[in-house]
Amino acid sequence: MGRVLAKVIATMSELLLQTMINAVYAASYMSLIAVGLVLIFGVMGVINFAHGELYMAGAYTVVGLYSFMALPFFAAVVAGMVFVGILGLLMEYALFRPLRDNPLGGLIASIGFLLILQTAAVLGFGVRMAHIKPPTQAKFHLMEGVVLTEQRLYVIMAAVGLLSALYVFLRKTKIGWAMRACAQDKEAAALQGISLNQISRIAMFIGAALAGVAGALTAPLVSPTPYMGHSVIVTAFIIIIVGGIGQLEGAVIAAILYAFVHTFVTTFYNGVLADIVGLVLMLLVLILKPTGLFGAKERA
Amino acid sequence: MLLEVKEIHVHYSKVAALKGVSIEVPSGGIVTIIGANGAGKSTMLRALSGLAPVSAGEIWFDGERIDGRPPEKIVARGIAQAPEGRRIFPDLTVEENLRTGAFLRSDKPEIEHDLDSVFGHFPRLKERRTQWAKTLSGGEQQMVAIGRALMSKPRLLLLDEPSMGLAPVLFQEIAAIVIEIVKGGVPVILVEQNAELALGLAKYAYVLETGRVSLEGAAEDLRENEHVRKAYLGG
Repeated sequence: MGRVLAKVIATMSELLLQTMINAVYAASYMSLIAVGLVLIFGVMGVINFAHGELYMAGAYTVVGLYSFMALPFFAAVVAGMVFVGILGLLMEYALFRPLRDNPLGGLIASIGFLLILQTAAVLGFGVRMAHIKPPTQAKFHLMEGVVLTEQRLYVIMAAVGLLSALYVFLRKTKIGWAMRACAQDKEAAALQGISLNQISRIAMFIGAALAGVAGALTAPLVSPTPYMGHSVIVTAFIIIIVGGIGQLEGAVIAAILYAFVHTFVTTFYNGVLADIVGLVLMLLVLILKPTGLFGAKERA
Repeated sequence: MLLEVKEIHVHYSKVAALKGVSIEVPSGGIVTIIGANGAGKSTMLRALSGLAPVSAGEIWFDGERIDGRPPEKIVARGIAQAPEGRRIFPDLTVEENLRTGAFLRSDKPEIEHDLDSVFGHFPRLKERRTQWAKTLSGGEQQMVAIGRALMSKPRLLLLDEPSMGLAPVLFQEIAAIVIEIVKGGVPVILVEQNAELALGLAKYAYVLETGRVSLEGAAEDLRENEHVRKAYLGG
């Protein structure tokens, strides 16, 4: 009896640890996407519905450059990051700037752009899943029965590295202050000589590039399709509402919270229930603290 | 004249907020614009800073035409504004708020010097330099707004309702600092609903009524004016 029980406990703790590692991985790429979306919303006041498709564009850059053209994987990832960043600049210039005084117009234009990106991916690569041979098959056996693949480790390291760099940039540099100032009061920022066009460009580039790098790094793990942006954008919106709109730190913490809840429910029950739990979490936050867990109170 | 505003018109959608307003500001002292709520005082300052579109007329600053330019270009020319309602950045620290005022400057040692001189004007801000600006009292927030505008090293300072919501004691404190700033060589346009205080500080005054200048003259003369006494000085 005792030995059976010990075995069950050992298996359970392995499963728990493995699930936690899976959740850390999920939190990593989700926060990359959600933080970009929050940054764009904070600075420009526009909800970028095409954000999921920017993530998709990052994944397909890797499909094209790494899978088809056999470039080194990390070169393809960097190219994906820069390419999607440039897509962001294009969106800022062609969509959001002309519609600056019309946030609803910006949102609708971004939905149009989402369809363009999706169609471009279908025309270029077809509607089927693109399977990518991972650049590395290496696994780390952290414990008996607890595995972290090297590919997932890349994603975790990229998220920690890039988000820390963004944090330092926002806190310690002049452009970073200007960006936070714009997010808090655009007119007052303009009165300090801060150019809204310049800051919007930078925010859009960074926000898009973060989604791009998330797509590029996860491409070998998720098998990209032109429609992969949908589920991601829904998740990103839940995270933003839970974290508090316009709160970068809130988005990261909410991404971690959401990823843990979602991964655990998926592992121990199923994915459908996990999606429902995610939405219920969002509803609870909306009812109990509509400004989000980390959202500001009313400003005087 | 440092600033010449010639017959400017500003429209918000279809409503005219300014209907041909002309003012002149010399390169020293305080010029005040007084008037009731909604007379167009704030719109005037917004137009000067490039935040409100000027549909007709001209604004000349130091020999250059500046109407139609974006706000950041106007700040670069040397016009800074402490706007109505203070509009400080709540989630930046006091020091970060002040430093955003120096956004366009790259003369580092002088920025540090000017930061010290702002802290000299407002010692209370120095004590609170690492505090979030949203935790400050109304008076302290006004100090941040003025200090932030000074950090751009302006050649003309626009102050929109600095007395709003402040206890009289506090406004006296702010008024004393405004006088110091002017003595330091920076001319000020002061927009106020509190005509008593504004006319006490300024050399020259304009009275704005429904988007037009209804009266102008030396501040001391306007204090004696029958209409001004009745409408703005409470008898």
